[in-house]
Amino acid sequence: MDPQSIVTAAKLIGAGLAMIGAMGGGIGIGLSAHGAVQGIARNPDVAGQVQTNMILGIAFAEAVAIYCLVVALLILFVVK
Amino acid sequence: MADAQKKKSNKWKEIGLPLGIAVVLSGLGWYFFPPVMPHIQLPAEPVLEQPLLRLGGIWGDIYLTNTLVATLLIDVVLLGLVWAVQKAARSGDLIPRGISGVLEATLEAIYNLTETTAGKWTETIFPYFATFFLVVLIANWTELLPGVDSIGWLHHVEEGVKGFGHVGPFLMKKPGDFQVMAWVRVASTDLNFTIALALVSVFMTQVIGVRALGLPYFKKFFNIEAIFKVKPMYMGVIDFFVSILEIISEVAKIISFSFRLFGNLFAGSVMLFVLGYLVPILLQSGVLLLEAFVGIVQALVFGMLTLMFMALATHPHGGEEHGEAHA
Amino acid sequence: MEALQNLGINLGYLIVQIVNFGVMFWVLKKWAYPPIMEMLEKRRQIIAKGLEDARVAAEARANAEKEAEKILAEARAKASQIVREASERAEAVGREIKAQAEAEAARIRAEAVEAAQAERERILRELRSQVAMLAIAAAQKLIGTALDEQRQRQLLDAFFSGIEGGKVTVLDELEDAVADSAEVISALPLTEEEQETIKKNLFAKLGREIPVTFKVDPTIMGGVIIRVGDKVLDDSVSGHLQELREALI
Repeated sequence: MDPQSIVTAAKLIGAGLAMIGAMGGGIGIGLSAHGAVQGIARNPDVAGQVQTNMILGIAFAEAVAIYCLVVALLILFVVK
Repeated sequence: MADAQKKKSNKWKEIGLPLGIAVVLSGLGWYFFPPVMPHIQLPAEPVLEQPLLRLGGIWGDIYLTNTLVATLLIDVVLLGLVWAVQKAARSGDLIPRGISGVLEATLEAIYNLTETTAGKWTETIFPYFATFFLVVLIANWTELLPGVDSIGWLHHVEEGVKGFGHVGPFLMKKPGDFQVMAWVRVASTDLNFTIALALVSVFMTQVIGVRALGLPYFKKFFNIEAIFKVKPMYMGVIDFFVSILEIISEVAKIISFSFRLFGNLFAGSVMLFVLGYLVPILLQSGVLLLEAFVGIVQALVFGMLTLMFMALATHPHGGEEHGEAHA
Repeated sequence: MEALQNLGINLGYLIVQIVNFGVMFWVLKKWAYPPIMEMLEKRRQIIAKGLEDARVAAEARANAEKEAEKILAEARAKASQIVREASERAEAVGREIKAQAEAEAARIRAEAVEAAQAERERILRELRSQVAMLAIAAAQKLIGTALDEQRQRQLLDAFFSGIEGGKVTVLDELEDAVADSAEVISALPLTEEEQETIKKNLFAKLGREIPVTFKVDPTIMGGVIIRVGDKVLDDSVSGHLQELREALI
């Protein structure tokens, strides 16, 4: 077994595992959309404001998933 | 009844026929010119072999990379917008029409959003918000152009070998052995582009903070005063370390700004061309719609976060709530 | 450094991108935003002006409508007033004419009645002397002897006027009468002296002066009926005949 291919395999597995963290971001985005839709359903007049805040909240929640992606990319491309 | 059926058949003619033609054509294309997997790598690929500038050292050599081409494309589009606006302004016609009208409507919405958040600093913050929004939006939407990420040099690749030589611009029927190095790649998938924007955003936030509050603005970062003023003293020390954390928060902002944009767009484009490679019929069209939405949302998020941070920087005791939440 | 290289981060590209963004920012800020903001502002002003104009126009229209309504109401009020005044005047004129006509008619009627009364009295007065002469002549023929004509005349006068020897005999029956007016009815008109005599007697009896009216009623045949207040003193021939009849029956 070539040691390099073991490292490569480990890298790929590691990158894949790192992306599990994106689940948290997904759940967060889902929750914020859930809250926003409920809010809009109860008070459609402030739909614009709610949407703006929802997009901001999604951006913050997404940041976590992005960190996972960054880690995955680092593992894939940076780690030798 | 017959009328409705006729209408239905008309609809079928309108939608079904082009759809069928598209399916047939893409099927033929798939058969005769099978899609070539694009080369996936983080750094932008050089379009020309010769570097434009040979700087060396930490600067690195400046090649004409495919993301740089996309950046120039953005510049061209922006200049075109400026030209359209100038033309509209010179005509003195107040009726909004064409590209200028669309731009006006967009900017008006952005301006109103800025006004509600920034208050009296609207005039200062608005150009940043608007420019970030426009630049990022155009950068993201270059992804929707046909040919972006799909037309380029073909490189022969060996298994496990990173190096490659140019083969030529045309597709060849040798799947598996080649990868496409696109001539144009979405600028947002280049970390240089996103980090540059993030740096500008965060740096200008500090500039606006200083302009609004003067030197006391930096108290946010080095709250030495708190050690002596806040009683009991250990609370003041805690305050001081919290203020140090603000600096980390600013750095985290840069990373978060740049990697959010980069991550979304890189993931999007990878998904697009991997799907295009695997299922080259119709599937990409649906994903393109999603990418158009992601593109505008990311542009809006980039602009709005900039607006938020800038607006917070102008407030004497702001900066903590949002900055920390996001870091 | 190696890690950054692998991520594609390169200081040169970074600076190129920053400069590029800076240039774009400057270009947009200088040539794109001001005209757009100006246009937006202009359009906003035009719209605001249009709305303002519309508001003013609406206000003017409302004012005009109000004015028109006011004028109309005034005109209506004036018209109705004129009509009312005219009808009032017409009514008044009509009433006046009617009153005049009525007054005229009443006057004519009163004059006619008066004239007829006067004529009748004149005729009756003339008749009285003739009746007296006829009665005397008839009595002379009947009894063949000529009574003292003077005496006869006195008797006749007493018969007609109820005055005997300057005294009204029937007034003796009057007792403590309270009255504001008196009425004397005779069969034939009384002479001035006789009227004076009756008045004098009446006033003496009552102790004060009251208005006395004299009436002629040939149906009582002779003598007088004097009404003082609610009392009736009957000295007439017909009254006596009535009494006689009642006594006989």
